[in-house]
Amino acid sequence: MNNYSVIGKDIPRVDGREKATGAAIYTDDIKLPGMLHGKLLRSPVPHARIRSIDVSKARRLPGVKCVITGEDTPKIKYGNWRLFPATQDEYPLAVDKVRFIGDEIAAVAAVDPDTAAEALELIVVDYEELPPVFDVLASVRKNASIIHETSPSNISVDRKIAYGDIKKGFAESDYVREDIFTVHPVSPAYLEPCSSLAQCDQDGRITLWTSTQTPYIVQCLLASTMGMRENDIRVIKPNVGGGFGGKMELRPWEFCAAFMAKLTGKPVKFTLTREEELTTGRRRHPMRLKSKVGFKKDGTLMAKDLHIYLDGGAYNAMGPTATFLCGNFGAMLYRYPNYRFIGQHVYTNKPPASAMRGFGAPQSLFAAESQMNMAAEELGIDPIDLRIKNAMVTGDTIPDVATISSCGFIESLEAVREMSNWKRNRKKNKKGYGIGIGCYSFISGGVFNWFNTQYPFSAAEVKVFSDGTAHLLTMASDIGQGANTVLKQILAEELGLKMEDIRLTAADTAMTPQADLGTWGSRVTLMAGNAIKDAARQIKDVLFGAVSSHFDLNVIFDLECKAGRIQATGKPERGMAFGEAVAMVQKTNRGIPVTAKGYYTPRGKGLVTPAFSFGAQVAEVDVDQETGVVQVKKMYTAHDCGTVINPMAVEGQLEGSIHMGLGYALSEELVMKDGKTLSNTFLDYKLPTAMDMPPGESVSIETYEPEGPMGAKEAGEGLASPTAPAIAEAVYNATGYRCKDLPITPEKILKK
Amino acid sequence: MKRSGFDYYAPESISEAVVLLSDLGENTFVMAGGTDLLIRKRHGMIFPDAVVALKKIKGLDRISVGPKKGLVIGATALLADVAAHKGIQNKYPAISDAAKNTANVQIRNMGTVVGNLCNASPSADNAPALLALGATLSIAGPQGDRTLALEDFFLGPGLTALKPAEIVIAATVPPPPANSGAAYVHLSARGKVDCSAVCIGAHIELQGRKVNNARLFVGACAPIPMRTPRAEKTVMRKVFTEKLAEKAGAAASEEALPITDVRATQDYRNSMVAVMTKRALLLAHKRARS
Ligand SMILES: Cc1cc2nc3c(=O)[nH]c(=O)nc-3n(C[C@H](O)[C@H](O)[C@H](O)COP(=O)(O)OP(=O)(O)OC[C@H]3O[C@@H](n4cnc5c(N)ncnc54)[C@H](O)[C@@H]3O)c2cc1C
Repeated sequence: MNNYSVIGKDIPRVDGREKATGAAIYTDDIKLPGMLHGKLLRSPVPHARIRSIDVSKARRLPGVKCVITGEDTPKIKYGNWRLFPATQDEYPLAVDKVRFIGDEIAAVAAVDPDTAAEALELIVVDYEELPPVFDVLASVRKNASIIHETSPSNISVDRKIAYGDIKKGFAESDYVREDIFTVHPVSPAYLEPCSSLAQCDQDGRITLWTSTQTPYIVQCLLASTMGMRENDIRVIKPNVGGGFGGKMELRPWEFCAAFMAKLTGKPVKFTLTREEELTTGRRRHPMRLKSKVGFKKDGTLMAKDLHIYLDGGAYNAMGPTATFLCGNFGAMLYRYPNYRFIGQHVYTNKPPASAMRGFGAPQSLFAAESQMNMAAEELGIDPIDLRIKNAMVTGDTIPDVATISSCGFIESLEAVREMSNWKRNRKKNKKGYGIGIGCYSFISGGVFNWFNTQYPFSAAEVKVFSDGTAHLLTMASDIGQGANTVLKQILAEELGLKMEDIRLTAADTAMTPQADLGTWGSRVTLMAGNAIKDAARQIKDVLFGAVSSHFDLNVIFDLECKAGRIQATGKPERGMAFGEAVAMVQKTNRGIPVTAKGYYTPRGKGLVTPAFSFGAQVAEVDVDQETGVVQVKKMYTAHDCGTVINPMAVEGQLEGSIHMGLGYALSEELVMKDGKTLSNTFLDYKLPTAMDMPPGESVSIETYEPEGPMGAKEAGEGLASPTAPAIAEAVYNATGYRCKDLPITPEKILKK
Repeated sequence: MKRSGFDYYAPESISEAVVLLSDLGENTFVMAGGTDLLIRKRHGMIFPDAVVALKKIKGLDRISVGPKKGLVIGATALLADVAAHKGIQNKYPAISDAAKNTANVQIRNMGTVVGNLCNASPSADNAPALLALGATLSIAGPQGDRTLALEDFFLGPGLTALKPAEIVIAATVPPPPANSGAAYVHLSARGKVDCSAVCIGAHIELQGRKVNNARLFVGACAPIPMRTPRAEKTVMRKVFTEKLAEKAGAAASEEALPITDVRATQDYRNSMVAVMTKRALLLAHKRARS
C-alpha cells in the first residue's frame, strides 16, 4: 500500500551527532558581550507575608549591576489559562506574600555568578510567617490557612465530567469496589537545568533565548507581564535538554532576564542549579484518588465514580489542565457506560506541580489499572481477559468528548499476552517472581484552547528552491524528543526529497510562522505534521500544474514527487527534476519565490484531542524476599501509535518512558519535611541509571489514524503511564503486597 | 569568604606535598580524584584557598600484592584499577568487590580508594571490607611518617585522625591467613549505582568447620563505619551454619546505630543489617572453604 521512501525508516536524529560530540549549543552555552549573570532569592519559609525587603546592601556590593523585587515590576499576573484570567495567579517575583519554600522574591544581576550569589545573602527580608498547609486534606478543611485570597476554599479549580447514570450502574453491578490511591510527586529531572538569556535592543525590543517547550506561550506571557506588545518580544529556543512538561510556562527567570536586560541595557542570563530544579522546580502532581467501580459477574464494566484531589502546590501552573485530563483518562481504555468524575485542584504551601509526561494520565491510570487488576483477581477473571472484554475499539465514542478514530488496544493486549508468555508465567511458582500488566491511552495534542490563541494551533512555511532544496520554517519545538527529525521526514516524503535537502528553521517566534502552541500533550507530530502537509500540498499543486502543462499531460493523470523529481505517477520520463520545476514556476511568475504556508487547527474532533493512542505493557519482576528490593527483569510492550514515522525514534521514546516509569514506580521520591524538599541532588533523588534499565521487547501495532499525518499519532508520552501499574501488579503477584500508595519501596513490601 | 577559584598545586613528590600543606595553611585541601572534594566545594560546604593535588606524584598510584607485605594500594590508585586488578580479585575479592560497587564508571575512573577512606563518609563503600581485613594506613606528615590501623582512623562523619598537613600514602592489607575468607555486600535503594543504605565487610578464619576468628564491620549505620563485636562473638569457636550466620546478623542489628535519612529509615536499616551481615558471612565462609 504505502511505498514511502523516508517515512517508516530508521532515520538517525538530525541533531544526534552534535549532541553526542558535545557541539550542540544550549542556552547556557551562549555568551554575549557584557553579559550579566542573574540569581534568584527564594523564600526559606513556606507561607508568609512579606513585611519588608531591604536590598540596599546587595546593591552596594561591587560587581552588582541590578537588584529587583516584586515592587520594581509592573505586578501583572500570568498563567497559561489566559481564557480564564482568574486562574492566572503567579507574579514573576513575590508581591506581598510567599507561598512555598523556594518562591522567588528578588533577583540580582552581577558581573559573575558568584558575586550574584553573594549579593543574595545581603538581601534582608522581614517575614510575618503564616500557618502553612502541606496536604490536600488539611488544605480543604474549614478554617485552613488561605493561600490565595482569591480562592478562600483553597480549591482553585473544580471540574466535573458525568455521563450515563452511575447510580443505576452501581445498582446493576454484581461486584463493586472502592479504593483510595495516593501518588507522589516526581521531578521531570530533565538533564538541562532551565536557562534563559535576554537581550534588549536600542528600540527596547527583547530577544530571549530560553530553554522552553513553548516559545510562543513564553512570548505572549512575557509580553503581557512586562506590559509590552507581543511583537516586541522575540523568543528563540536553542537546543533543549528535555522538558517533560516542566518547561511549558513563563518562568520567573525568563521575566527577570528580560526585565533586567531592559533596565541595565546589558544581556542577562539565568541558569538554575540542579538543587533549585529539584527543590523548587515543577513536578508531577501528587494526587489522592478515590475510585469506585462496578462490574457484572461476567466482568462487564458498569460504572465508575472517580474523585481526585490534585495537590497543586502554591500556584496553578498547568494544574487546571491536569485536572481536566486526569478525569478524561479515568474514562479511557474501557467502555464505562456510566461515569462520573470530580476533580479538585487544591493549593498547598509546596512547590507548584505542573505538567509532566502524561499530564494527569500516569496518576489516573495507576489507580484505574491497579483497580482493574484487583477486580480481575476478585472476579476470578484473568486480567488480560477482563481488559479485552471491556476494551475500547475503533469507532467508540466518549459522550461529549471524542470519537475514537483508530484503536489498536485489543491487538496490543493480545500481543503482550503472547510475547510475555503470560498464561504460563502467571502460574509460575518461583519464589520472588511476579508478572503484571498495565495499559494506557493518551492524547495526540489537545483541542482545548485555554491559552486563547488567535492563531492556528500549528503552522509551517515551506520555501522551495531551484537547486532542489526546501526550507521548512515552523515554530514547533524539538526539546530532545526528535521533532526536528520527524518533521523533516514528513516534508521530505511529501516533496520526494532527501533529508539533507531540507533546511529547517524552528522555534523562533520572530522568524517562523504564527503560531505553534509548543511541545506538550504529544501534539507536535500530529499538528505540526499536518501543517507541513498542508503547505507541501500547496507547493505540489503549483509544481504539478507547471509540470502537467509542460508535458501537456491529460488532466486525468496523477502526478507525484519522487526521488527528487516531479513526474506523472510511475512515469519518470514525463517529468523533470524538482529544482527544474521550481525554476519553471519561478520564471512564470517573474521571479517570485515558490513558497507556501500551511496550518492545522483541530476542528470537529470533540473537546479533548484529535486522536488517541493505546497500548499494553507487561512487567516481570524478581523481589528479594529478605530485603524487599525489586528488580525489574523484563518489560514487554505493544502499542498503537498509528503509522510509525521513525521506528528508531519511537523505540527511543519507549525506552525513555520505561525509564521514567521505573523511577516513578520504584525509586524516585521528592522527600519533603515541613514544606522543604530534602532530596536536593541526584544522589538522593533516585533517578534510575542505565544500569537499572531492564531489557525489553516491543511491537508497534500499526493502525491508520485518519486525522494524523500519514496516519500517525502520539508515541512517547502515553507510555509513561503503564509501567508503574504493571510493576505494581507484578510485585503483588510476587509477594502479595498491593501498592496503593506510590512509590513501591522495599520497606513497604517487607511490612505488608 | 572566597567563593570562586582556588590556588592549585600539583607537587611531584610526597615531601614537596607535605611542605606545601604546612606552608599554605589551614584552608588547604589534599585532592586525589576530587570526586568528593570538588563536589563539596560546588555545594558551598567548603571554600578552599588552595588545593594540593596528588596525582602528579610518581608511583603513588601503585597497587601491589606480595606474599609478605600483602596488598598495598597507593593513595592515587583508582577505584577502577583496584576493581580490575587480577591479584586483588584472586586474593582479596572483598576489596575488589567494594571498589567495583563504588559509584559509577566515570567516578571510578577519577576517584580513589584512599580518597574514599579519607573522605570519611559513614557510608564509604571501601571502608568495611578494608576494616574487616585489618588494613593499616601509611601516613606522611611534617612530623615524619607513621602507620595507623584503619580502625583508629575514623572519628566521625568527615573526621579522621589525620593531623594538619598529613597525607595518607597508602593502605596496606596483610596477607590473608590460611582458611580465611572475606566479603563485602551492600544494599541501596536505587539498584545498581547508588550510595549504600547499609554495607557490610566480613572476614572469618576457619579451623576445621569452626570459626576461629571473625571481624565484622557495618557501614552507613553509625557516624563511622562500626565494628559489631557481639556479632563476631556469636560466631566465634562455633561450627559455621546458615543459622549461626543469621544469629550473628541479629546481633549486629542490635549493635548498629542507624538513623532515618533520605535514603532509608532506621527500622529498615536495622533489619537490613541482619540480612546483609548474614549474607556477608555466608559469602566469606564460602570463600574460606574454597
Ligand atoms: C556521582 C558520585 C557517586 C558516588 N558514589 C559513591 C558510592 O557509591 N560509594 C562511595 O563510597 N562513594 C561514592 N562517591 C564519593 C566518592 O566518589 C568516593 O568517596 C571516592 O572514592 C573519593 O575518592 P577521590 O579520590 O575522588 O577523593 P577526593 O575527592 O580527592 O578526596 C576526598 C577527601 O579525602 C581527602 N583526601 C584524599 N586523598 C587523601 C590523602 N591521600 N591523604 C589525605 N587526605 C586525602 C580530600 O582532602 C577530601 O577531603 C560518589 C561520588 C559521586 C560524585
